[in-house]
Amino acid sequence: MKVAFPYFGYDTIALKNFLEMLGAEVVLPPLPTERTLSLGTKYSPELICLPFKITLGNFIEALEAGADTLFMAAGARKCRFGYYHFIQETILKQIDNNVDFYPISQYTPFEFIFQKMPKIFSVSPARVMKSINFLLAHSRLIENFRKLVRQARVIDFTLASIHEKHALEIIADAINLMQIRKARKEIKALFNFADDLPENIIKVGLVGEIYLMLEPFANHDIEKELGKMGVLVLNNRSLYRHIKHLLHIDFDRIKLNHRAYKYLKESPGGEALNTVGEARTFIKNGVDGIIHIFPFTCMPENIALEALQKMSDDYSVPILSLSIDEHTSKIGLLTRLEAFIDILKRVKNQKAVSRVPRSSLLTPH
Amino acid sequence: MIKIGIPRALFYFRYGEFWQHFFRNLGYEIVVSPSTNKQILEQGLKYVSSEICLPVKIICGHIEVLKNQVDAIFLPRFVELNHGLYTCPKMIGIVDIAQIQVGNACEILSPKIKDNFMLAHFQTGLKLTGNPIKVIKALNRAIPYLSHHKKLSNSEDHKQRILLLSHFYNLWDDFIGKDIINSFQSCGFDIATKEDLPDKVLKSDKGFAKNIRWVYERELYNAFQYYSDKVAGICNIISFGCGPDSLIGEIMSKQANEYKTPFLQLIIDEHTSKTGINTRIEAFSEIINRNYQSKPYLTK
Ligand code: SF4
Ligand code: SF4
Repeated sequence: MKVAFPYFGYDTIALKNFLEMLGAEVVLPPLPTERTLSLGTKYSPELICLPFKITLGNFIEALEAGADTLFMAAGARKCRFGYYHFIQETILKQIDNNVDFYPISQYTPFEFIFQKMPKIFSVSPARVMKSINFLLAHSRLIENFRKLVRQARVIDFTLASIHEKHALEIIADAINLMQIRKARKEIKALFNFADDLPENIIKVGLVGEIYLMLEPFANHDIEKELGKMGVLVLNNRSLYRHIKHLLHIDFDRIKLNHRAYKYLKESPGGEALNTVGEARTFIKNGVDGIIHIFPFTCMPENIALEALQKMSDDYSVPILSLSIDEHTSKIGLLTRLEAFIDILKRVKNQKAVSRVPRSSLLTPH
Repeated sequence: MIKIGIPRALFYFRYGEFWQHFFRNLGYEIVVSPSTNKQILEQGLKYVSSEICLPVKIICGHIEVLKNQVDAIFLPRFVELNHGLYTCPKMIGIVDIAQIQVGNACEILSPKIKDNFMLAHFQTGLKLTGNPIKVIKALNRAIPYLSHHKKLSNSEDHKQRILLLSHFYNLWDDFIGKDIINSFQSCGFDIATKEDLPDKVLKSDKGFAKNIRWVYERELYNAFQYYSDKVAGICNIISFGCGPDSLIGEIMSKQANEYKTPFLQLIIDEHTSKTGINTRIEAFSEIINRNYQSKPYLTK
């Protein structure tokens, strides 16, 4: 049994180690490229949102790389994500009839621990729980690393990139809790040149749909690009927090939902409440601007967008909305980012807060 | 007297009659916005991003029309219906968008409907009048209007029949649906819609339908299953940017392919032209005719 699953940013390593702990042989598809996207787009329904297309591309390339068992997160709620697997399975079965496709419902942790995983991998529930515990520790390490590397990029981009590679190796090699503890110290030491940030740095809060916030291929490496421009990115989304949320132990969520309540009185599904709550928290903590990134036609995020526009007016903080699909060009995106950062710099220098007209921020693509 | 506005859009096309009677029975003046037209749509475009689906853009236009002439706009928040089935992110979020849009111009009366349709209405009435008996009476007298569904065909004659699959707020909003209906009728078709079917069929959770947790998509899918061998062709109207339709539409189109039933997906947005629709429907009716000659039993 050769297992594969779609990329999920830096957290892919954690998921891979998790499955390996359960005894699976994991085949990672090649890193997503233009080919992945065009393969995915070719087989996808025309009007579906971007994560569908990229993850489908990942699956096809995983089959090419020899995988025969595919895992996809599932669980139908208000939004489209929970339905992805129905169509992806049909498409993939047409490509390779022998493939085993397992949709893993996100919202039934007990079934996951006591039935699903033990059945697929013939392991005991205790082992699954142990692996989940490890997954939490590992993804927490990655969350921590991402925070450090974001700061480091602002100080010295080249050095940060070199250390980033090294740190990723350390993370991949950590396969038990002891090693994770050691890895945390090592990584901290690697990036200690960035402990003190200059005062007048431009800070931007990144919010939006989780896949686009976490998968660098999907978001055109926005965090790195901003780092190159000397901008400190804040991003509070991670696999670690998502898993905590699924296990109902992410108590920060309550606070976030509470903060979002001023603008959204009910969750429209997806990550809209998080987006709005996080944006408000960032603004309270004094960021210079907010970048809102989401897939083109994303339903919850388009609702959040209206709330964010209002928030931008209320608090006089500029917000840039980036709606991404397979036609988005990196160059166009960079131009928009640069223009936005220029605005932020101007506002910061004037120290007077001015409002950015909505029309200049909302040109599609 | 308090004036309550009801936008002639989205849920109006299912619950509109009921709402009007309910509030009139309570003794309020009701203002229903005029039928959708170009100006209304253009008003709406200003308030939401361009990637949002057409019906939501339209309802924003209606809210704009109403906001300065009434004291409150009635816009319930439909979250769950039929035992835990969801509506759609935008139907849930539209109330928040409307709130931002109207600001202080008027109130938004929006009871939250989470599997408690009647109770939510009762509470709204109670909040307005403070008289439970009056509210119960008003509700009782309005209930018959809940099941007033429009029908296009009641014929059992031997014209060819096609199934128009679409959300009620697309089909019965003349601004969107009329051209499509006319076009099919002038090609000589009888039109079946999901509104012709009894609730029992629409709400069934047999087969794949049980996986669909969106209430209206489940209805569409059930109607599709029911009619797939009883009509000469199926036309699925989808708003550009509609999330649920992009998935369930795809699933239906794949299955129609298996059943060899001609299937047309009409994607509409604010730029859709009447001629464009006509051309596509004419081409589609050609396909049906060819298909039909080989399968004459499809008349009924
Ligand atoms: S949240 Fe957005 S991207 Fe995710 S499934 Fe829903 S519409 Fe698609
Ligand atoms: S179901 Fe589709 S068309 Fe209807 S409101 Fe939701 S996204 Fe728009």
